[in-house]
Amino acid sequence: MIGTDNPLSDDQRRILAIVLDLIVPASEDGQRPSAADVDVLGYIRETESHTLDGLRAELDQLNAEAFESQGEAFASLDPATRQAFVDAVREREPQFMRTLAMQTVACYYRDDRVLEAIGVGARPPFPQGYEVPSGDLSLLEPVRRRGLIYREA
Amino acid sequence: MADDVVDVLIVGAGASGAAVAWSLAETRMRIVCLEQGGWMNPAEYPSNGRDWETRAAKEMQVSPNLRKRPADYPINDDNSPIAILNFNAVGGSTILYSAHFPRFHPSDFRVRSLDGVADDWPIDYATLEPFFAQNDNNIGVAGLAGDPAIPAHQPPLPHIPMGRMGETMGRGFNKLGWHWWPSDSAIITRPHNGRGQCLNLGPCNAGCAQGAKSSADIAYWPMNERAGVELRTHCRVREITVDEGDMATGVTYFDADGNERHQRAEVVVVACNGVGTPRLLLNSTSARFPNGLANRSGLVGRNLMLHPWGMVAGCFDEPLGSNFGPQGCCILSQEFYETDASRGFVRGYNMQITRGGPPVGTARGGMAQGTIPWGADHHDAFDRLFGRNIHLGICCEDLPEEHNRVTLDPELTDSNGIPSPKISYTLSENSRRMLDHGLARGAEAMEAAGAWKVQKAPAPIRMAGWHLLGTARMGTDPERSVVNEWGRSHDVRNLFIVDGSVFVTSGGVNPTTTIQAVALYIADSMKQRLANLFD
Repeated sequence: MIGTDNPLSDDQRRILAIVLDLIVPASEDGQRPSAADVDVLGYIRETESHTLDGLRAELDQLNAEAFESQGEAFASLDPATRQAFVDAVREREPQFMRTLAMQTVACYYRDDRVLEAIGVGARPPFPQGYEVPSGDLSLLEPVRRRGLIYREA
Repeated sequence: MADDVVDVLIVGAGASGAAVAWSLAETRMRIVCLEQGGWMNPAEYPSNGRDWETRAAKEMQVSPNLRKRPADYPINDDNSPIAILNFNAVGGSTILYSAHFPRFHPSDFRVRSLDGVADDWPIDYATLEPFFAQNDNNIGVAGLAGDPAIPAHQPPLPHIPMGRMGETMGRGFNKLGWHWWPSDSAIITRPHNGRGQCLNLGPCNAGCAQGAKSSADIAYWPMNERAGVELRTHCRVREITVDEGDMATGVTYFDADGNERHQRAEVVVVACNGVGTPRLLLNSTSARFPNGLANRSGLVGRNLMLHPWGMVAGCFDEPLGSNFGPQGCCILSQEFYETDASRGFVRGYNMQITRGGPPVGTARGGMAQGTIPWGADHHDAFDRLFGRNIHLGICCEDLPEEHNRVTLDPELTDSNGIPSPKISYTLSENSRRMLDHGLARGAEAMEAAGAWKVQKAPAPIRMAGWHLLGTARMGTDPERSVVNEWGRSHDVRNLFIVDGSVFVTSGGVNPTTTIQAVALYIADSMKQRLANLFD
């Protein structure tokens, strides 16, 4: 039984983790985690819980197709076969996979490790803010030299 | 004492209502403002948290139809390629505006005389100039004096930082020999009137947690309340009432508990924006005004202008830090603002350079467009865009056309049962040509600046109907206008309209500075005529 605190079964969780890692794997330098390592499911529950039913159905479908064609669970397949299965779902159910990808990056790019790695700092914008150079006003010289361009009326 | 008589009753606490209240407060008249929304709390704005992008997209959604806060009213904009955007709270839509603050040009008030289209305004730039300056000082406006595209003026605060992205675009404009300049911005870059300066948080368009953006709730209302203006929040006005002598007697409204009340007033000032104002007038029917209040001209709701918007994005090789800084304010170009008949259209447009996308926005946009893939290449592709992309908005002047209008929806209502506005709007051929020209020139500017990739978004951008203008136009002829040259209704001598509804034409720039200048001018005109205001 899947309750509100446990919206996915163990199998579904394993499949979701694999799919998330296909969407955003860890960076080679190790600074950015895999999307499977951030709480995408928590994000979906928090902000777009209406998509959970569709998510469960698609994950079950992946597993069923793996059993049907390969005779084993999706999570047991080799990486290339997993990728092929997911590619097929992207082809067949583009809206579902697009939604999942959008949810994934929405969660991923608020993770502290990711924010640190991309240079914005593991913090919200307020109250520290950011430094922005004022800019070189000498670049305006050609504009000044040209003179007034508005029409008197 | 809700049924006693106040001297001045203002409907709407947004940009124009706030400015009018400030100006009239010195008369010591009893002034009450009714606002359908409540106070916003900057401590609760999205940029206080790491999840700010997600929260901004939901809680601070630009469309009231999607946002659905209790203060919002639905708007039927199905018959318009441009959705109507607003915000309903103390401060109105300035809560979400970018604070890009370019003034109208002198030519904007003389379009018939100069270009043979639309109508001249009954007032001119020189008339408004002191009110532009007053407003700049009141709220705190940053800018750089000397812009050759507009008459000389001195912004009271230093300009917003351009950053490397502003310099990059500036070099591109220079290569083309085009005008550009740091934008006037209603953002304080130094402490001003007890407010802290801009911290370059970024998401101005989701509310400014620092209070540096000069939204009307922060920049005007504290002064107004100190001066004795009474602001009643969560009060939604249903109709303006009139007597047999065609004088407004007050308004009927729903208070915060949903109780229907009536507030009597000697003067009623409407400040509900170019959609809310005609909605209120059209809902105010009576035996004397069967087609809506102040509508004997038949022009209430007509001539809606929306500023069709185009967008060009450019990606650059070098890191520009373009994700930092006030989202909608950097530099502008008014190279194509004034009419040049050889371009195939009349009037012109402003180019507004805005900052690059934030992290989630960049990732989502890149994935939607296929430029950021799934898999191992995701990170490199993200890095090629993030902090290295620049946006260029094209704000086209929209000419008045009577068939572009606000009416009342026969079925849709707000939570108080008040009929909602219905929008009927089509893009003119002149606007289409102007948009096409702007998109092509925008792409040219990006390429000149060195972008390795340039993308033009389909235009007009649907979610860009911020600028709601023209639906209760100003003029000297009662047959051809709704209010006179100082904002008083031709039909109801103690009824004033002070928002963007009174605009005769739209100009080609974000209108808030001009809206507030017009509002201050109307308030000043009222003060000058207090002894014979209703003659």
